[in-house]
Amino acid sequence: MQYALLIYEPESEVYPAGEADEAWHAIVAAHMAFGGDLAQSGAMRSGAGLKSASLATTIRVTPEGRTVHDGPFAETREQLGGLYVIDVPDLDAAIAWAKKLPIAKTGSIEIRPTLGMPEDA
Amino acid sequence: MRALLDRTFREAGGRVIAALAASFHDLDLAEEAFAEACARASERWGSAPPVDPSAWLYAVGRRWALDRLRRRVTAAGYRPEAPAPPLTPEDQAMSLDDPIPDERLRLIFVCCHPAMNAEARVALTLRTVCGLTTNQIAAAFLTPEPTLAQRLVRAKRKIAQAGMPFEVPGPDRWPERMDAILSTLEIAYAQAHADAAGLGPNADLAVEVLGLTALLARLVPEDAEVQALAATVRFTEARRPARLATDGTMIPLTLQDTTLWDTGLITEAERYLARSAALCQTSRTRPGPRALQAAIHGAHAGRRKTGVTPWAAIIGIYNALLGLRDDPVIRTNRAVALAEVEGPESGLAALDVTPVPGWLPWHAARADFLGRIGRDAEALHEFEAALALGPSAAEQRYLAACGDSCRMRLSPSSA
Repeated sequence: MQYALLIYEPESEVYPAGEADEAWHAIVAAHMAFGGDLAQSGAMRSGAGLKSASLATTIRVTPEGRTVHDGPFAETREQLGGLYVIDVPDLDAAIAWAKKLPIAKTGSIEIRPTLGMPEDA
Repeated sequence: MRALLDRTFREAGGRVIAALAASFHDLDLAEEAFAEACARASERWGSAPPVDPSAWLYAVGRRWALDRLRRRVTAAGYRPEAPAPPLTPEDQAMSLDDPIPDERLRLIFVCCHPAMNAEARVALTLRTVCGLTTNQIAAAFLTPEPTLAQRLVRAKRKIAQAGMPFEVPGPDRWPERMDAILSTLEIAYAQAHADAAGLGPNADLAVEVLGLTALLARLVPEDAEVQALAATVRFTEARRPARLATDGTMIPLTLQDTTLWDTGLITEAERYLARSAALCQTSRTRPGPRALQAAIHGAHAGRRKTGVTPWAAIIGIYNALLGLRDDPVIRTNRAVALAEVEGPESGLAALDVTPVPGWLPWHAARADFLGRIGRDAEALHEFEAALALGPSAAEQRYLAACGDSCRMRLSPSSA
């Protein structure tokens, strides 16, 4: 089954200086290693690290039309910082990977099954 | 006849639904298949149910589920597998001989997966492993039936679509997983226990929790905490006949007539407790919180033989519990034991170190100690605080009676 691991971190607390932050470099390196492990296990499908939520642009869709706004979709304490798509046998395996996922300080990892193509299983 | 059938279905339910769910990884399908098998049984068994009704229900339910799956696959536009040939009488006889795999442990692990909504775990376990109806569970938990049904639907959908494994996890993951299972059973039992009279819908629940803990203890014989929980619910359940006075007033544990306790349950409990203790000893692990709690119940149960409660030993066990987890609830209980050994002043002092305002047992204990010291006005105030927290009818009568004695002592003339 495929799952997305969505990583949320309180960006401004953990990386106050953004990409110039030492913590940022450390976490990028940790993700390189984690992605390597994932790839080696054969579970890696895809993934992306995201730049700061302060660079986000959001398009709001209403019956009146689509309008462009500055900022992330929601102003929350934690922001989406990146994601992996993995292919593993079941939720327990996804949980096991999520538990190993690098997080600088605090944060959350949401595990969501992806909408797949019809499975040949 | 109808009653006999219903009882047969009820008894077969957990095991058959678990086996069907484990083979199809779909709880809804398993329940529907079981219901279908029961409907057919009602038509066909007449006055003579088969020798092994569960095997019959399992075989028929399984076949129905397979048919249903094939049709579902066809409807979705996939190339169907070759349809299974219809069962010959020989096949049928064979499949009836097949023992039904006991998949209830697997099902318990699925229903109590930490990724499941905690509120849904209890309901799901009682529904699928024990075969209680939605109606029965809703009544026991005072939840509107539609709300509970919704919760079950969501939970089953998650199991079916989130890739929840139908596996007993490896022992390395048991500590984490077993805790979710044991706390689920504790919630179910707390609900059964809350009803002191044991007459309401919760009486059923107590029977189910006794059954589930016995099952778990049998399926997981090497886990001291599992054995301990089986002991605790039995010690507690054994006291049910002694918990109420004839007028419906609660009788606290220490004042209960021990001759009313159920000795059969206590004997079982003591066996589980001994097993739990032996497991801790052989594995050289320190007893966990449930083993210690069971030991406290075991110490209280000793009063039926010796006539006295070993309070000093009980304080020792509470100290060990506090070593595992410093918790105001444990501190309050320890204070009660301390009051018995060192007097109510010591108990009161201990209570006031970690106040738990708003928690009924803390107010009740404080009221009791104050009354025993002779500070009746303060005691009365505490009894009223406890009463304001909405105790059960039995406990309310008890607290009100205690409050009345305080009033009597405060102004004897007005009584």
